[in-house]
Amino acid sequence: MPIQVNRDVVGKVYPPFAVTIERGKIKEFARAIGDLNPFYLDDSVGRASPWTDIIAPPTFAITFRSEATDSGAMLRDLGVDISRVLHGEQEFEIHRPLVPGQTYLCRTRVVDLYEKAGRSGPMAFVVRETAITDSTNEIVVTLRHITVVRL
Amino acid sequence: MKYGKVSFEDVSVGDEIPPLGKGPIQQIQLTRYAGASGDFNPIHQDDEFARAAGMGGVFAHGMLSMGFVAQALTDWAGAGTVRKLGVRFAGLVRLKDTVTCRGRVLVKSSKDDVHLVELEVWAENQRGEKVVTGKATLALPSRLPT
Repeated sequence: MPIQVNRDVVGKVYPPFAVTIERGKIKEFARAIGDLNPFYLDDSVGRASPWTDIIAPPTFAITFRSEATDSGAMLRDLGVDISRVLHGEQEFEIHRPLVPGQTYLCRTRVVDLYEKAGRSGPMAFVVRETAITDSTNEIVVTLRHITVVRL
Repeated sequence: MKYGKVSFEDVSVGDEIPPLGKGPIQQIQLTRYAGASGDFNPIHQDDEFARAAGMGGVFAHGMLSMGFVAQALTDWAGAGTVRKLGVRFAGLVRLKDTVTCRGRVLVKSSKDDVHLVELEVWAENQRGEKVVTGKATLALPSRLPT
């Protein structure tokens, strides 16, 4: 018997939250991937670069989370358990690299929910978009997440 | 300091980027990625939990493989060049798997001093099965005077 997901989440806008990037978090993230690019890890290389500091790797914005807006909150809204979800798709549109010390504002909303038959049964696809802006309200990175729920 | 390893003029449609081999995937890397990313879903850490969830055991965060694909791109073109990266997680990466990231140039375009290359990107495991498929857009420096 497939479970039901709460379709009312479509259109939901999560509370905006601010993130100030810590230098060490960028390095920790790059090392966890095993990406030892000096533009992520070496402060002196960063200072001499066009960005005058180290920059974050392309997928770093995935680390921006808050209790009220993370995927746990979305799962509660959907009414599904974490063991049923998979990461289906992910997209980053990067207008310029994220840099340490800056404070960014993250705004997430649920833009779509659709169901499809998968190889292992019915599945729901939940599409979220997160816009990341800087202190001048200029867009820096846009994320598009698709979460798959095994129904 | 020069950060781009390739210039727009060096790239042709159909070119493949140098493959990047990663792994074998170990549990410690998944634990480390969980800490660095904040994704503590036990399905990537706890084999019993992952089996009970019907997943046949622990598997890697899709975002770790996406990080590998991003590295393949920036190892080739330089840090800070990626403008867009979008992928589908097509298959699970298991412990002990190796992941090879690849890409091929599909389109080149220039507009107002911005020089873009669009690539198809993918990652495959040791059996040649695609675990990530997607597209990327990179902005490359030009060697020509503007």
